Amino acid sequence: MTRADPTLDLIANAALAGAAVLLVARPRLIARVARSPLLPTTRDVAVAAARLIAPPAPPPLHWRVAKVRELARLVGKYSPARLRSTRDIVKKAARRLNGSTALLAFLVLADSAVEHYRGSFANRAMYTPLAIAALTLAGSVFGLADARPNRHAVRDGIYAVAAVTGLAGLCFHAYNILKRPGGLSWLNLFYAAPIGAPFALTLAGLLGRGAERVRDVLPRRRPTILGMPAGRTLAAVSAVGLAGTVGEAGLLHFRGAFQDPAMVLPVTVPPVAAALLGAAALRPTLKTNRLARRWLKLTALLGMGGVGFHIFGVARNMGGWRNWSQNVLNGPPLPAPPSFTGLALAGLAALSLIEDETDA
Amino acid sequence: MSDNPEHTPRALDGRAPDVLRPGGWVPMRQYDEDDAVDFAIVGTGAGGGTLACKLAEYGFSVVALDAGPYWRPLDDFASDEHHQAKLYWTDERIVDGDNPLQLGANNSGKSVGGSTVHFAMVSLRFRPEWFKARSKLGYGVDWPLDWREMWRYYAEVENALKISGPVNYPWGPKRPRYPYRAHEVNAAGLVLAEGAEALGIAWSPTPLATVSAPRGRSPPCVYRGMCVIGCSTNAKQSVLITWLPRALKAGAEIRDLAMVGRVEHDKSGRVTGVRYHRRGRWRFQRAKNVVVAGYSIETPRLLLNSASSRYPDGLANSSGLVGKNLMVQANQAVWGIMEREIRAYKGPPSLAITEHWNYTDTGKDFFGGYAYMSQGPLPLVWSGVESSERGLWGQPLIDEMERYNHQVGLKIVGELMPQERNRVTLADERDQYGLPISRVTYSYCDNDKRLIAHSLAFMRQALEAAGATEIWDETDDTCHLNGTARMGDDPKTSVVNADCRSWDIPNLWICDGSVFPTVGGVNPSLTIQAIACRTADRIKALAARNEL
Ligand SMILES: Cc1cc2nc3c(=O)[nH]c(=O)nc-3n(C[C@H](O)[C@H](O)[C@H](O)COP(=O)(O)OP(=O)(O)OC[C@H]3O[C@@H](n4cnc5c(N)ncnc54)[C@H](O)[C@@H]3O)c2cc1C
Repeated sequence: MTRADPTLDLIANAALAGAAVLLVARPRLIARVARSPLLPTTRDVAVAAARLIAPPAPPPLHWRVAKVRELARLVGKYSPARLRSTRDIVKKAARRLNGSTALLAFLVLADSAVEHYRGSFANRAMYTPLAIAALTLAGSVFGLADARPNRHAVRDGIYAVAAVTGLAGLCFHAYNILKRPGGLSWLNLFYAAPIGAPFALTLAGLLGRGAERVRDVLPRRRPTILGMPAGRTLAAVSAVGLAGTVGEAGLLHFRGAFQDPAMVLPVTVPPVAAALLGAAALRPTLKTNRLARRWLKLTALLGMGGVGFHIFGVARNMGGWRNWSQNVLNGPPLPAPPSFTGLALAGLAALSLIEDETDA
Repeated sequence: MSDNPEHTPRALDGRAPDVLRPGGWVPMRQYDEDDAVDFAIVGTGAGGGTLACKLAEYGFSVVALDAGPYWRPLDDFASDEHHQAKLYWTDERIVDGDNPLQLGANNSGKSVGGSTVHFAMVSLRFRPEWFKARSKLGYGVDWPLDWREMWRYYAEVENALKISGPVNYPWGPKRPRYPYRAHEVNAAGLVLAEGAEALGIAWSPTPLATVSAPRGRSPPCVYRGMCVIGCSTNAKQSVLITWLPRALKAGAEIRDLAMVGRVEHDKSGRVTGVRYHRRGRWRFQRAKNVVVAGYSIETPRLLLNSASSRYPDGLANSSGLVGKNLMVQANQAVWGIMEREIRAYKGPPSLAITEHWNYTDTGKDFFGGYAYMSQGPLPLVWSGVESSERGLWGQPLIDEMERYNHQVGLKIVGELMPQERNRVTLADERDQYGLPISRVTYSYCDNDKRLIAHSLAFMRQALEAAGATEIWDETDDTCHLNGTARMGDDPKTSVVNADCRSWDIPNLWICDGSVFPTVGGVNPSLTIQAIACRTADRIKALAARNEL
């Protein structure tokens, strides 16, 4: 790669412009597309993956024993007290998921506003994440305020668009990296468009859709996503999200030469949380769940504490906070660390669903 | 003004300026002039400043003297090319030869911290073979140093300066990871990159002595681009803000505005201390050892000016080589215009580099090598180049300056050969201290001219390949000074040994750019500092064996 390819640029811009026009002119169409759970191919892949990771069936029991056990399970499951507690857990989890979606959307809004302003909005498409993140945020706040249990088509649609926009952003950022001299090099990973950033919008979208799916269950059923118990799917999504965020923090802190010892924290604590959460998604046990919960809480705290570190980091730039208009752009990004918080909260919500699922 | 560091010394009364805080002070140990300190060091630049720090940290008593002022960059540096000329050594000197050198801004500093206060921060290692240029590559002379040993000292210096460099450096043997990551490459650097990729050669972000992330009280570089007129934010890791604060902490004394005029010796021929001018009069500091580190013009000048009946040709000069083999480096450039805006002044001036012709030995009609780098001349310098090199003046110059933001260039740091006829001698004229000034004689040899021609032709291709138009050659520029007191294995053909100890007088040392036997095709300061670190280790070892 040596030069920016103008044709490629044109195509990418045209595609984005088309998507934007469609979004404004044909919201119904978009909503209809969005209503199919994600996109068909993604779904097929996800179902296949889910089947792969599902625990193997237990060895067959004598039919009489099996019948009795099944009866006992059903009695337990549908006892009024149990049902009420499940309903509460599910409702709470849905709200928590709404909350983490709102947080992630807010962070994407703040981060892309600052970073794309820094990039002078050189490309019109750079406004897109601001608009979509703002919509996602509004949708999630609405979701939090909405006492009705059902899922909502508009919210669902917004989340789908957010997920897809994040993926498109990923492509844009990748293109931005690859078109520079040196191509896929450390230098370009450090200073071109941050490769991982748009993924946060995708995560917000996925978690938002998760929230919708979770709240939208009959009182007697437990939520599922893509044929899997919702808790486990969402735990998997949060774990992957955490891992990606660790990757991004690792890259940028490496760029900063880990000059402050605290810069190692986000590449040591959240990976443990992500791994435990992943384990809980695959094979939930009481012990993994408890450990995962502890590390997720730590990760959530770290995300908030990170803002403090970044505030200090901004102060260490020339002119400190007196020169805020420059240093907020140059210094460590303030909205970055709480992504960990958002994902950890989602992970915690997923865990409580898992716990409810497993002791059923 | 009472606090004008150009007129009144600041390092007095038990304190020295805190270079990292506006108006700040740090405590400084002071020595009595009559107490013979272990080391009196003349010059506090890349050689002297580094050595002062290391020796003080090893427990020696050290007084380091510099003719220049003790700046606090945060207080004293203006964003003004003209004003900042105060950093350059502009005392009277005479130049002659076929290619008289332009001395001052581009090769000598006069400040506590030496030329590194306004250097361009490019921090490169020698190609290993250069230490054995004669036996491995067939030109110049061999150094008495082994590259593998130097590799360790390079690492020490890179860490002390927290060099910001690429994760993988494309040339030479493996080196440890640079302590800080490379800076973002500006548009001028990307032009170099595009040209290199088009011609199929490697390029790299340049390893630089300016931090890309916070370090202590140094903020990360803000890319103002005023590096070569003195960094006013302290992102630049000069000797002034790295080694010297450490030196003070370890108990060294630094004397600013202290011009050494003579190194004295006793009847036995051993040196006894330095005679220096400070606060209006001549003084004498006794010392058990004297280190001369005034750079390649002032070092031989001081040694020659210290001539006595016992040493009529000057100190350490039994070989007759003091002042000889002066080497500059070729600094020719090609310039052109890009249609898109470049704003080359943004950021450190040389953010991208290729060392291709340092490490490639085929396709050359000359000995030695060169690196070339992207450029970011400031407006005043640029208008000077336009007027002196292209003869633009009046309206044409104004018109050309309108295109300042579109101009782009590539410039070499090229290896020129050591020649005895290129030398520093004493003139009859005297300077403001009443000391004979130096005459600097310089001429290119044929090999030098071939190297320059090769580089200009190659860089022209690179610039064309990157899409520049209206390309022209700047043929007359040099940078850096080296040689004039070369190190070697033989007292007959060198002035100092590998430890920078003079062959003639065991307690007289020379530790700066003067000791280079050859220059290589990279900027010299990292090597000078590495040599200083090695010298300190050697002195420590010799002292332990009672061999000082
Ligand atoms: C504009 C510019 C850009 C440069 N860019 C680079 C670069 O990018 N990379 C690189 O590696 N190198 C660069 N250099 C070169 C580098 O700065 C020098 O090679 C290096 O500083 C030389 O070290 P030194 O110790 O020999 O001398 P200096 O650093 O020059 O120190 C000598 C000191 O001795 C003092 N002195 C001299 N005589 C006396 C005396 N009689 N009494 C008291 N004090 C005295 C002087 O005041 C001076 O402060 C650059 C130089 C300049 C001028």
